[in-house]
Amino acid sequence: MQGSPPANEGYMIAAYVVTAVIVFGYALSLLARARKALRDSK
Amino acid sequence: MGSLESARATTRRGMTISAVALLGLVAVYVMALQFTPIERFQGAAQKIFYVHVPAAWSALLAFSIVGIVSILFLWLKDERLDRFAAASAEVGLMFSCVMLTTGPIWGKPIWGVWWQWEPRLTFTLFLFFLFIGYRTLRSALQDPAERARFSAVVGIMGMLLVPFVHLTVYLFPGIHPLPVVLKPSSPSLPPEMLRTLLTSFLVFTVLSLGFTITRYGMALLADAEEARHAG
Repeated sequence: MQGSPPANEGYMIAAYVVTAVIVFGYALSLLARARKALRDSK
Repeated sequence: MGSLESARATTRRGMTISAVALLGLVAVYVMALQFTPIERFQGAAQKIFYVHVPAAWSALLAFSIVGIVSILFLWLKDERLDRFAAASAEVGLMFSCVMLTTGPIWGKPIWGVWWQWEPRLTFTLFLFFLFIGYRTLRSALQDPAERARFSAVVGIMGMLLVPFVHLTVYLFPGIHPLPVVLKPSSPSLPPEMLRTLLTSFLVFTVLSLGFTITRYGMALLADAEEARHAG
């Protein structure tokens, strides 16, 4: 008798959302700062 | 003028690498969520592993680079090395945030608790705070030469902690799982899971590289601007 896997998809979704928020949030912040630095250096 | 152009080119190169790696991250999400099987005992929560482990790798890699570049700075006294170390520390902290949030989200359904004061987790948190201290120190010191010298010492201290963090699971066995890839024997994962994990490792490494080069280029731009105004 083989049981089904535990139902914990919510945790997986939460982890992937948190990762996306941190990584893409940092990327957007970096992009904005880099574009400003490039603009100011002209 | 040449250094300004070079700084601009470095920043742009970093932005391009970061953009490509971000597309790679989207591909990792699709691979992990759609094309990788659900593990029988841990369920869907096991898939957190495809972002948590590469984020941990990227954070520890970035902190190791801070230490190595800091040693080179103390030896060669080249300010660009100090700027690169600072850039790598910022990126390492960002990946640490991913590692320290996804870890407890995995821990709750698997261990039943969000956090355990066991050696791996405790030392990782300590390393995170050490690099928060590194950033704080850099903000607090006004003299650039003093800032570079003192923060290099803290960066080297942080790097010394990295192998210790990796080996805690062997030195002080707790509830944290043992490595499945970064270990002396061959990886212990089914091929489809290993493929996703290795792709994620590659994407996170390139992402780390792209972010660090962008941040480094920005620091060089600031230096070149300062030199232009001073001259």
